Amino acid sequence: MLRTIEVLIAIIILFGAFMAVTYFAVLPLPRQVAPMNLRRLALTTLESLESNHDLSNAAFETPSDIPDSANWRDLQVALSASLPADVIYNLTVYAVNSSGAVGSNLYKVLGSISNAATLGAASDASSYMVASSDVSFAFTPEKIGEHGTGGTLYILNCSDANGWWITGYTAQSLAEDLYKLLSPYYLETIMVQNTSDLKKLIDGQKITGSANETVQDATIINTFGECVPMPQEYHQGQILENQGYDAGAPSGYGYTRYCYTLGQKTREQNWTWSSIVGYPFYYVSNTVAFQDEQNGWGIYGMRMTNQGGLRAFLQGLDHQQYHYDDAGAISSVGQVTLTQTVINASNYYGIYPSPTQTSTRALSILSGYNLTVGLNVFNSVGNYLPGSIYKHIFSGSSDTTGVFLAIGLTRTPDIRVTTLGLLSYFHPSLFTSGYSVSDTSRLVVLQLGLVGGS
Amino acid sequence: MVSVVLFIAAMLLFMGLFNQTIQTATVYQQHSALATKTSDLLDNMLLSSGTPVDWGKRRINSTSPTGFGLHDEALAQYQLSPFSLMRLESSAGKPVNYEVGGQTTTYNNVTMNSGEYLLVPHSEVLNYSYASKLLGTNGSYGFSLTLAPTVHVSISIVESLPTLTFSVNVTGTGLPLANSRVIYYLITVSGRDAPNSPVYNIYSGASSTDAGGMVTVSRDDVDVTQKSYALIVSASVSGLSGVGYYSNSLHNSSYVVPLVSNFETGTVNLAHSYGILDDAGQNVTGSESLYYNVTFLPVSDMTRMSLNNGTGGSWVCGNLDASHRVDSVNLDTRNLGVLVVAYSTGASTSGVVVMPWGFSPLGFSVTFGGQPGQQEWVSTDLRQVLVNNIPYQAKLMFWSNEGHKVIT
Repeated sequence: MLRTIEVLIAIIILFGAFMAVTYFAVLPLPRQVAPMNLRRLALTTLESLESNHDLSNAAFETPSDIPDSANWRDLQVALSASLPADVIYNLTVYAVNSSGAVGSNLYKVLGSISNAATLGAASDASSYMVASSDVSFAFTPEKIGEHGTGGTLYILNCSDANGWWITGYTAQSLAEDLYKLLSPYYLETIMVQNTSDLKKLIDGQKITGSANETVQDATIINTFGECVPMPQEYHQGQILENQGYDAGAPSGYGYTRYCYTLGQKTREQNWTWSSIVGYPFYYVSNTVAFQDEQNGWGIYGMRMTNQGGLRAFLQGLDHQQYHYDDAGAISSVGQVTLTQTVINASNYYGIYPSPTQTSTRALSILSGYNLTVGLNVFNSVGNYLPGSIYKHIFSGSSDTTGVFLAIGLTRTPDIRVTTLGLLSYFHPSLFTSGYSVSDTSRLVVLQLGLVGGS
Repeated sequence: MVSVVLFIAAMLLFMGLFNQTIQTATVYQQHSALATKTSDLLDNMLLSSGTPVDWGKRRINSTSPTGFGLHDEALAQYQLSPFSLMRLESSAGKPVNYEVGGQTTTYNNVTMNSGEYLLVPHSEVLNYSYASKLLGTNGSYGFSLTLAPTVHVSISIVESLPTLTFSVNVTGTGLPLANSRVIYYLITVSGRDAPNSPVYNIYSGASSTDAGGMVTVSRDDVDVTQKSYALIVSASVSGLSGVGYYSNSLHNSSYVVPLVSNFETGTVNLAHSYGILDDAGQNVTGSESLYYNVTFLPVSDMTRMSLNNGTGGSWVCGNLDASHRVDSVNLDTRNLGVLVVAYSTGASTSGVVVMPWGFSPLGFSVTFGGQPGQQEWVSTDLRQVLVNNIPYQAKLMFWSNEGHKVIT
């Protein structure tokens, strides 16, 4: 009998425990188990409404006009139509108080629309900042050459040449990126699509019919790394062999003569010739002219000029008599740092390459060619300059006759360094607008709720 | 003895009851986790462009793309690539088999109605199984992604004679689109005797919907007994826009079918309907020659929809018959728009078909993925997205293939 009573007590305890568990372990409603992500839905709805700036137009209505505003009426129609029928909303627009006065509210309600008195069983909200259509936050860059000569940027994008030391990239992909980075700063940016166009350039002829194109004082960027594209006419046996090939040069290095021609043209046209990485003019390339010849490393369509290429270019730049000279001009100096001028430009133009880089082709070419440093991109290491813009000025003259940018970094190239170097040198101004104007932003908050059920 | 039996019985009973409570809690946890994963997966699809980022414009093979995503890399978040969407295998449309020269090609079918086609070779679309592998859900989870225009523009004909009159109804997913601005383009096609190709006329007009989202569009200068026609209607209000299409062809026994061939080159085949195989694998036999006139109408912004005669105003003409079933045209891969193909066999036997180039110009929708029916629990989430400035709703249904994982 006693045991039966004990069992009954145990059953009562178990039952009590079960009731307690059932009472406290209340499982949530299915809606709460798998809720619709209302926050994301609200954000994406606001983005859709802003796709044609209609949300901005409504948000910047004068508060007194809002009750009769067609923009707000359309906004309400669009909201009601775009949200599922079981989703209710409250959209509120706030003015952002920029006065900073003590005690003033940061946000002030300007207007609100809703299709329900409450926000149902569950709700969430997203906010979105819209800018006035009357205020532009864009910047307008000053164009290089706008107040002087030049202003044309040529980017070598030759389809009939190969690059070297641009591992991981193609010259064409680098050219495309350079175009995006630099074209806003030049009056005219032209892609040199093949070596035939490059030949025109060397001959001082325009490539396009654009009125803004000027060959004189232009900037030329060689995206092919240590290699430079060469038109077929300069090949041995062709019509301009005497300007492109030196039969007296050591075996295999005859095309140093072409680099001399480029130096001459850089001086005559006052070009800014830019080498983006490595040892400048170490190879020349033309996939048709050199289709059966290789550069010493098994790359066909390319020939080596060795260290003579750079020397020949500098001879041409300095109007010296051409002779083959392969005296070394480089040193591997290891880690180098951007100069303060370039770091400042980095902040000004919003381009941020790593401030420390590795240089294995730092140049020492200041003596013998009438070169002066126009800008150091990297701090010098002893007598070696890891990256600099050299100006050629004849002794006794104040005129610059050719500029040479050489970035002697190791591969893989970071074209932002070249971009910053050129921008730091030419220093085009940025004219920003709108930052001093107050009341340019509105905060829009869309709160969504689910109706139906409980 | 009685007390022992009673105790054991009570224990078994309460063990079952406790177990049921625990099972319910476990299922709740699983469902809650599934809902979180649904939201994450949907964002993953809509905010990522995939690998390569422009896979929608490239060839697809067994090793490419290597990442799945629908975002247009050149645009802001939740703006999708109109070309990637064209490459999703539709789980709703019935595949179309087309035979030419003894070779049969199967096409993914996202066709909306008769006269508006989007047929892409199966080899050029991404199938559900491959996408699941790329998303890491293969085997464990299933999903169904639906992309449908937020604004639905439906067009019905009220009368053909004496005035060609249409009723246009514009609705959102919630309510009608009241007071929306409506722009319409009516393309009429006049057939001509062989070997001349048909000619187009394009009329346009504007109006606005009433409080119920309705508007009537009419033209009294179109003789529908002699002309086939297609009507494209765009409606917009406060950033919300949609597009609808309606067509009527006088000649339907044979017609031209646009078949996408290559996305990289923008090649579209114009094929005679005689090559379409029925369910028994047979094609229609006949001898009708179709003379066609094809043009591309770039649509840069459907809310300010402009139509012109395509690149340089040059239209392409040709003819197809039972022995010469396929011609091809190349579209500019950068422009979105509508390919309009007018065809005729004679002066009064003409027709018109269209194909969107890009997913959104005609408001097409697609469902991509598995079948959610028979699943233990399906979690759903929703986003508003833009496809070439046309608002769409992206709805993801997501479920676990592992079932309850508890005894029920």
